[in-house]
Amino acid sequence: MVHALDEIRRTLKPNGVLIDLRPVEENWPVEIVSSMGWQAAGRLTDLPIAVADDEAAFNAMREAESKGWYFKEKEKEFAFFYYWDTPSEMKEFMDEEWEGFEKLEESVFSAVKSAWTLANADARVRVRVKMLITRWRKT
Amino acid sequence: MTQKDPEGFERKALHKFADFANQRVLEIGCGEGRLTWKYAAASNLTVGFDPDHDALRVARADSPYTMQKNVHFAEASASHIPFVNETFDIAILAWSL
Repeated sequence: MVHALDEIRRTLKPNGVLIDLRPVEENWPVEIVSSMGWQAAGRLTDLPIAVADDEAAFNAMREAESKGWYFKEKEKEFAFFYYWDTPSEMKEFMDEEWEGFEKLEESVFSAVKSAWTLANADARVRVRVKMLITRWRKT
Repeated sequence: MTQKDPEGFERKALHKFADFANQRVLEIGCGEGRLTWKYAAASNLTVGFDPDHDALRVARADSPYTMQKNVHFAEASASHIPFVNETFDIAILAWSL
């Protein structure tokens, strides 16, 4: 990772900008959303490999900064939502795409199904992913 | 069906953090180009890298006609970027660090 940051720096013009845009693990909330509003239904469980990936990314940027390759100009958190029409579609996606990174506990899945069933007819399921965007300036 | 960021929060954040107008942009981890299409139209040149051959095929197939001259995709990773020094104004690590 650190080598890659050095390689990116090499190809950036003087005073160039590096944008680091990525999700950050935080047991992302699962929510039921409809025309009536939204409600929390539980949280996913971060698995160790995802937490380790996050830590490695933060460490790599810290090292690049300490080497004087970049300095941080600006940083912000924001939400990125994944939506599904039904809890089953959500589970299917997670089993295929997030296996090994995020776990949908059976108890949470049951809570989501119950909340979705009781909600408005237009209710959908969403996961609120915590995103981090940082602007680094090449030194 | 999975819907990702229909509110466009990611696009808004990206454009608040960088002005892509007439810039030369390198995107590392472009995948199928989901993020690429949110800024590339404004750029002078965009090069998207990803080690996933299949994802790049999708990105090329989805390439809007109006962007085919200034957007290019290549199978590569950030450990070796096949460009000379000081080529790009902006580099984006797209969910890839």
